[in-house]
Amino acid sequence: MNIFNNLGIVFALLGAVLAALMPGIASAKGVGAAGQAAAGVVTDDPAKFGKVLVLQLLPGTQGIYGLLIAFITLSQIGIMGGSTTPISAVKGLLYLCSCLPMAIVGYKSALDQAKASISSIGLVAKRPDQFGKAMIFPAMVETYAILALLVSILSIGGVGNLHV
Amino acid sequence: MAIEQMKCIRLCGLKKDRKKILEWLQLRGDVEVMKPALHKDSIFKKGNPDLEGQRSTFSQNIKYADDALKILNAETSVKRSPFSSLDGKKEATAKQYESFSAKHDRTVETAKRIKFLEDETAQANADILKIEVQLEALKPWFTLDVPLDFQGTKSTAAFIGTMPNQWTYERIAALLAHNAPQGGPAEAEIISSSPEQTCVFVLCEKEHRAEVEKALAAGGFSHPPIHSEKPPKEQSSALEREISAKKDFILNKKSAICECAKFRSDLEFLADYDSMRYEKYGVINRLMQGKRTFFLFGYIPADKTASFGQELSNKFDAAVEFYDPPKQEEPPVLLKNNNFASPMESVLEAFSLPGIGEIDPSAIMAVFYYFLFGMMLGDAAYGIIMMAITAVLMHKHKHMAETMQRTLRMFFFCGISTTFWGFMFGSFFGDAVGVISKTFFNSSVALPPIWFEPINKPMKLLVFCFLVGLIHLFTGLGINFYQSWKAKKYKDAIYDVVFWYMLVGGLVVLLLSIKSMTGTFGISFTLPSSVGNAAGWIAAIGAIGIVLTGGRSSRNPFKRFLKGLYSLYNITGYLSDVLSYSRLLALGLATSVIASVVNKMAAMAGGGIGGFIGAIIFIVIFLVGHTMNILINMLGAYVHTNRLQYVEFFGKFYSGGGEKFTPFSADCSTKYYQFKEERKS
Repeated sequence: MNIFNNLGIVFALLGAVLAALMPGIASAKGVGAAGQAAAGVVTDDPAKFGKVLVLQLLPGTQGIYGLLIAFITLSQIGIMGGSTTPISAVKGLLYLCSCLPMAIVGYKSALDQAKASISSIGLVAKRPDQFGKAMIFPAMVETYAILALLVSILSIGGVGNLHV
Repeated sequence: MAIEQMKCIRLCGLKKDRKKILEWLQLRGDVEVMKPALHKDSIFKKGNPDLEGQRSTFSQNIKYADDALKILNAETSVKRSPFSSLDGKKEATAKQYESFSAKHDRTVETAKRIKFLEDETAQANADILKIEVQLEALKPWFTLDVPLDFQGTKSTAAFIGTMPNQWTYERIAALLAHNAPQGGPAEAEIISSSPEQTCVFVLCEKEHRAEVEKALAAGGFSHPPIHSEKPPKEQSSALEREISAKKDFILNKKSAICECAKFRSDLEFLADYDSMRYEKYGVINRLMQGKRTFFLFGYIPADKTASFGQELSNKFDAAVEFYDPPKQEEPPVLLKNNNFASPMESVLEAFSLPGIGEIDPSAIMAVFYYFLFGMMLGDAAYGIIMMAITAVLMHKHKHMAETMQRTLRMFFFCGISTTFWGFMFGSFFGDAVGVISKTFFNSSVALPPIWFEPINKPMKLLVFCFLVGLIHLFTGLGINFYQSWKAKKYKDAIYDVVFWYMLVGGLVVLLLSIKSMTGTFGISFTLPSSVGNAAGWIAAIGAIGIVLTGGRSSRNPFKRFLKGLYSLYNITGYLSDVLSYSRLLALGLATSVIASVVNKMAAMAGGGIGGFIGAIIFIVIFLVGHTMNILINMLGAYVHTNRLQYVEFFGKFYSGGGEKFTPFSADCSTKYYQFKEERKS
């Protein structure tokens, strides 16, 4: 039981790391795939670079949100500055749970947003005047990553104030 | 601040004035020329088929001019700043346009000449490459003092060629002795040798030529791939002379091209001049033409009609008539806004221009756009950087293209709002002020927020975001009400807007009167339950109203009721719309937290070392990190502000579908020049 109780910080760090890892991986994949599509468009018409770049970067935000959650967690549990009070196992698990929405939704939404981005890049290649609409389709997917981010932020903040 | 009122225009002129009138129209750029709806009859015909030939000549000339300009740009290195694309078009006058016709043909010739000179240099460059290949092939033969084509003398036969791999004199002698025992005396000389090939010269008596040749062939002998009538050394210096002659030739041609640089502005004018003529001839195709007169139909903004009619009658013998567009026609849309709201026109256009009965929402959008953008970026330093960069660019490039200027102006206003929210939330490069003072000056100076720090009270900001969202959505509904009212659809205004106001507004007030709700959201006040009850009743009336009227398009009462219930289900849409504004909090936090991460990393790296080097490391990490952060978060703020406008806000009142007003104007076709006459208007 004692060992389990010492694992609090490990659980919390696991949560932080997952939040950085999973959306980061998915964003890298997504931005990469969208980049290939964007490069294809630019070979045809270099003037579209600015537009397709915006579309390429859209699936990249999940990685940043993940980083954000990881950072908030790290500073809350005292690995990066902050307090040095020991973290109980329950609290550690709570941090882990708080990180999961961002980790999981971030991962999946980045991949799916990349698909929408690629289609939108195709749209802009054919009809550059429809850029405004093309931008909205991938942005719709991001809503869910933002909601997950929000839940993670709020629960990490809440867990920090709990005395368990 | 609105959609310009459009008038239809009908212009009748004499055919002999046609060219002049069209040129005048083009320079004014006020009229969109329509295809006539009338059918042709015995007097008036549509279009003019033999103009197509001339149009293709024009596009040919435009291509010549563009090519020539491209060549000139490559040859003469004109210094251009990276922002030269912001410079916009140069100014020109109608007089310049008229006088250019004298220069036109000459300039086309210049363009062709530049192209020809470029072709010649390209040809010479290709020749030089060929000669260099020959030179390379001659190199191994330099010590040979007879031409490569040398066949022998009166009584001897000579073989000049290469053998694969490395050969020595002895090996060749052995080869000859072995394969041509009756070959008579022969003399071999190694001209040069390398591991890959050996160049040899073999001399034998003429009568034994065939035998020796066979023997050599057995050793892999082959004739050299090049010919020379002179000894290789002489030949190669002749070739080198040829190369330097070609190089001189190229230099000559290039300087001839550079001399043409003085015609650059003429060439640019040519491209624009013929683009305009191309456009003009396209418009001629849309006229109704008789033997001596022609008719033009189109649209013109109402406020331009007076000056248009006045100037036309002063200049030409032509009749013009303005009238209101017929009801069944949808006139093209031209938006007119002040400097504050006009950047929204591009945002609006990217969605869709206002359709029939819709107002131009630019001004209202502008307020929300800047507000929302600022909340999402929310860092004072970033806002100041945005304002500074856009202000400098706008100040330095006064004549930049209108769309570019609008974009910059949009980011300028967004910068103001970002600065405002940054100070409200106490974010200046994140927590840079505190971090720097702690790391380098060992003090605890920090920038206190004017309002509060979101990271400490995220719930408070979340509630504020919902409030902003509610105001935004209700504004959209309000516009819907106004549009319906203006179209005299009073019932629609009440059914589709007022009931929703009652339902959503009532529910919000009801929630605010429930203690557990206000407690969860950390709201400091709770409305008395009597207010809550009243609000509940109002919401109930709204809901009943929606159920009763939501399905009013159907006649069948049962279907009507079901449809009404379904439209009540739309309340979930409102819920998700309001929740969608939580992105204001999330993105705002993202900016400030990542900025703090950058500061922390910089402080850890720089502060650990300390001193001067530490400060430099700190600055480098600081600059790189914040540059990344500002770019990525500006992108995020831009995309999501657009989304909130397009999806949540427009969803309440706007569907668009208007056609853009595209006048017959010089500015639409020119690339380099803008005519003063247009700039004035």
